[in-house]
Amino acid sequence: MLYPVNEPIDALVVYRSGAPHPFLRAFRWKNRRYDVTSTHLVHREREGETAYLVYSVGCRGDTYVLRLDTGRGRWTLEALDADG
Amino acid sequence: MRRVILHIDMDSYFASVEQQARPSLRGRPIGVTGRPTERSIVVAASREAKRSKVWTGMPVWEALKACPDLVLVSGNPERYLSITKRFVEILKEYTALLEVYSIDEAFLDVTQEASKHGGPIRMAEEIRRRFREELGECITATIGIAAGKTFAKLIGTRNKPDGIGRLDDEEIPELLESTPVGDVWGIGPRIEARLRRVGIRTLRDLGNASERFLKREFGVYGLHLHEIGRGCDSTPLVPYTDVPPPKSVGHSKSLPPDLRDFPLALIVLRDLCDKVARRMRRLGYMGRTVHCGFRVGSIGPHYGKQTTLDLPSDDGETFYEACRVVLGKIPVKPEQVSNVGVSVGNLVPTDRTSYALLEADRRRERLNRAVDRIRDRFGDGSVRWGASLLVRPIPQHVGGFFMASDDLEIG
Repeated sequence: MLYPVNEPIDALVVYRSGAPHPFLRAFRWKNRRYDVTSTHLVHREREGETAYLVYSVGCRGDTYVLRLDTGRGRWTLEALDADG
Repeated sequence: MRRVILHIDMDSYFASVEQQARPSLRGRPIGVTGRPTERSIVVAASREAKRSKVWTGMPVWEALKACPDLVLVSGNPERYLSITKRFVEILKEYTALLEVYSIDEAFLDVTQEASKHGGPIRMAEEIRRRFREELGECITATIGIAAGKTFAKLIGTRNKPDGIGRLDDEEIPELLESTPVGDVWGIGPRIEARLRRVGIRTLRDLGNASERFLKREFGVYGLHLHEIGRGCDSTPLVPYTDVPPPKSVGHSKSLPPDLRDFPLALIVLRDLCDKVARRMRRLGYMGRTVHCGFRVGSIGPHYGKQTTLDLPSDDGETFYEACRVVLGKIPVKPEQVSNVGVSVGNLVPTDRTSYALLEADRRRERLNRAVDRIRDRFGDGSVRWGASLLVRPIPQHVGGFFMASDDLEIG
């Protein structure tokens, strides 16, 4: 079950040359650090001129959906899948 | 030189992408739907769901009866399109002769390149490995290898899921003998029934039939059928770099029960006209022939007619007015419809049309351009017709061929 969150977060990201997208390593939500243990899927979305990268990542046994506004460099934690 | 064609077919594509994004769905029977309600349909079923006899196009209530554990997931077309672009980028590294056939299928002509990769089987294995590594372990593909598109697709289908199938020349006679004509790509139930009526049941029967007879019955397509029946297929690939200009631009929408009253369906039709017009402006075409139709009942008859405008247009309002004229010509006046659609043909490039003479037409052109700029910047939902606010926004289709080739923007 996906639980919507929609809160801005801080993110730690690695940019690798030639990679199709930056790699999310960790994020901070509610003053707690979450280290990403696996990246399940990254896809692009667009709303008008605004391009987003949507990350589905695993940490601490749960799956988190995060959205990067690529123009503004802002990260949002969109949802949490507590079923893993 | 005998061609080497690879047919790439992603396995249970939409469902696999959802399982890749959400590990909690892996190993479970899932059905991707437009909306997770019992009145919706399954547009893609995971392998686990298929094992419980859940099929694409099955109503959700029926799917839940066949598989009570089925997990319904709302489809995310942008997600699938994004992954398609990624796998197409991978395929482009292997050959320029790549035809993107649909959102989850592609053909590659690797006649020249296969030997550099250790042969077609090795090449197919490498492509599948790269898909797993770069897209995700759940997103798998089946690859069929043959000398023509039709046979590559056929042999691939027989090796699904997550397999590689190769058809060698010496296997062709046995394949022709054992393959019912209905199994072949392009031969739908109507053509199959017509062939059966004259005793043609297998591909071998098709090859043994007279070429003249098939041409008389099916026109030029009959010659293709005869060729297939003899184990040959010279159908060329249409490379992504060489996509022919569109012949028509259209959209249709299957309506949920709360939008089936005819006046509400007209509001949906108004939105569809707007979508068609916007796509035409983006592609740089105007059109004169407007075709409009609707379906009565979920499997009921489809009614449609067309009209021709005096001048080519790319304006949604003009198309909608033409649709109203067309609908007036259809004798059936249903209270409810399950599907509406509009398409515009007889296309000409906008730069080959004459300048609008009337100030009212020029104003409308300026208005359309302004609306396009707003939508380009803020998204398609940023400007809508007032009447369309009476119904919820039309969701994007998730299944079948909801993506037009221009949506893929592969270049």
